[in-house]
Amino acid sequence: MNGGRRGDRLVLTPEHVPIRLSPAGLGSRFLALMVDVVIILGVLGLLGTIVRNVLILTPGVAEAIMTTAGFVLFVGYPIWFELRHQGRTFGKRFFRLRVVDGRGLPIKLEQSFVRNIVRVLDFAPALYGVGGLVSLFDRDRRRLGDILADTLVVHERVPLRPQGQIRLERRFNTLRTPSAMRRIRQRVSLEEREFLLTLCMRADRLEESARYDLMEEVGTHYRKRLDIDAPHLSNENLVRDLTAALYNVGDPKT
Amino acid sequence: MAMDIDRFVEERKDRWRRMEEVLDRAEHATEQELGPEGMRELLRLYRLTSSDLNQARSLTADPELLERLNALAGRGYRFIYRSRRQGGTLARLRRFLGFEVPEAYRQEAWAVGTAAAALLLGALFGALAVIARPSAAEDLIPPQFFTQSPRERVEQIESQEERIATIDDAALFGAQLYTHNIRVSFLAFSLSALTLVAGVWILFYNGILLGAVATTYLMDGASLFFFAWVGPHGALELPSIAFAGAAGLVAGRALFFPGALSRGASLRRAMPRVWRMMVGVMLFLVAAGLIEGSFSQFSAKTVPYSLKIAVALVLHVALLAYLFVPRQETRA
Repeated sequence: MNGGRRGDRLVLTPEHVPIRLSPAGLGSRFLALMVDVVIILGVLGLLGTIVRNVLILTPGVAEAIMTTAGFVLFVGYPIWFELRHQGRTFGKRFFRLRVVDGRGLPIKLEQSFVRNIVRVLDFAPALYGVGGLVSLFDRDRRRLGDILADTLVVHERVPLRPQGQIRLERRFNTLRTPSAMRRIRQRVSLEEREFLLTLCMRADRLEESARYDLMEEVGTHYRKRLDIDAPHLSNENLVRDLTAALYNVGDPKT
Repeated sequence: MAMDIDRFVEERKDRWRRMEEVLDRAEHATEQELGPEGMRELLRLYRLTSSDLNQARSLTADPELLERLNALAGRGYRFIYRSRRQGGTLARLRRFLGFEVPEAYRQEAWAVGTAAAALLLGALFGALAVIARPSAAEDLIPPQFFTQSPRERVEQIESQEERIATIDDAALFGAQLYTHNIRVSFLAFSLSALTLVAGVWILFYNGILLGAVATTYLMDGASLFFFAWVGPHGALELPSIAFAGAAGLVAGRALFFPGALSRGASLRRAMPRVWRMMVGVMLFLVAAGLIEGSFSQFSAKTVPYSLKIAVALVLHVALLAYLFVPRQETRA
């Protein structure tokens, strides 16, 4: 009933309102990491030019500064941005990811620190071998650092805008009469609504004949269930109008 | 169906828009700028939106509406239940280093004791093994350390030019040492936290190596050199690695034995102490690295060994006194 998808974590706020968090997959996290690594390397390159060429330092001191800067940046950059920018480094922002704690709250300094120092173990033996493997088996796709810091990386979905897929180019919805709407609202369950939405959204990816058969079957079913007397309406258009009516799509009032 | 979804949205959309506005402002303002009125309004709107979200879930499956309300309530939740900091930066820092770091070590004395015991028992084991059968050293110590006998090595180092002759060399070597050692401490922490056993085992194993190496130098009559050579930085470095393991044990206990708390709550409760202990470890390791890169490298030609050993003792006692002598919390 909460409309949650598989793998989502529900967090109950103190007001007893469940809020949904969708753990992010490995792919987007890896890409976000790449972006961050490129940024860090870029900053280090810039800093290196300044330290080595602009400032008048002996070579040993310059290298010492760069060694330290490299370490501080690789550990500190994610901590800084996770704290100051609501759990998002540049890479994470780019891929709509966010680090939150197990309750869905912004993470604290200590949590960010722990998840980022355990990275040395997650990275081992090479390219996040350990962390990647662990997160495949974790329900919330967490690496070891996340498990120990009680954090998770969530993916913030863009709100769905199903207009086009449901309605295509149809301008009038024959079902939008008070009596038909009443029957629709009374007789179509939540599960069926979700099913209808999924069907409409995937319809254009189906093979022509499969789509026709499926729409015929579903359309016939609802024509009977909802006592729809509209012989001129094809079954596919009936399904689309029905879904549009359920989701308030294409209604001139809204 | 008690309520029409269209009417539901129509009646509430103004307050949702208002909540978005207030949040936009609040997320970029200090609490003073927002004022008590603003905070009260935000709280009121958050509660209303939360209940709207609950109601909406029973009224509709419209993903657009639910997604929007979910996001809105989530933003409010994150803002209202976030944690805040108090005091000025400098006062916080003084309190942190002067009180909170050592306090964490005292609170988790059991973990520090366990880690130290593992290291010391390992050292004892290594030493006894080498005393009982000197050839055991070759089994215990990795072969790359066996290029020459302790006596030969001492002679070589004392007859050569000083390895670290300039501040330049010392700075670079020191920086390499402490970044490496801090990384090792992170690894020790992680292994210790996520397995408990492996952390203790690593400390024990390193103790064996240390005990075996020390004993071979001792038995070769090079004990003064050994302690003068390892002591000044080892006085901070060896405890630090044990401390990293101890911090791992604290985190690991919270993870594996949460008791009556939820796992998340248990971890969040242990986290501040883990963080304080590890900041201590990093600071000690920076100091140790700088010493190892310079002072530790001097042979008897530059600094008498007795002075080096005295420095080592002072450093070690100072470290333990800083961490374990109880003190009053300084008022920030």
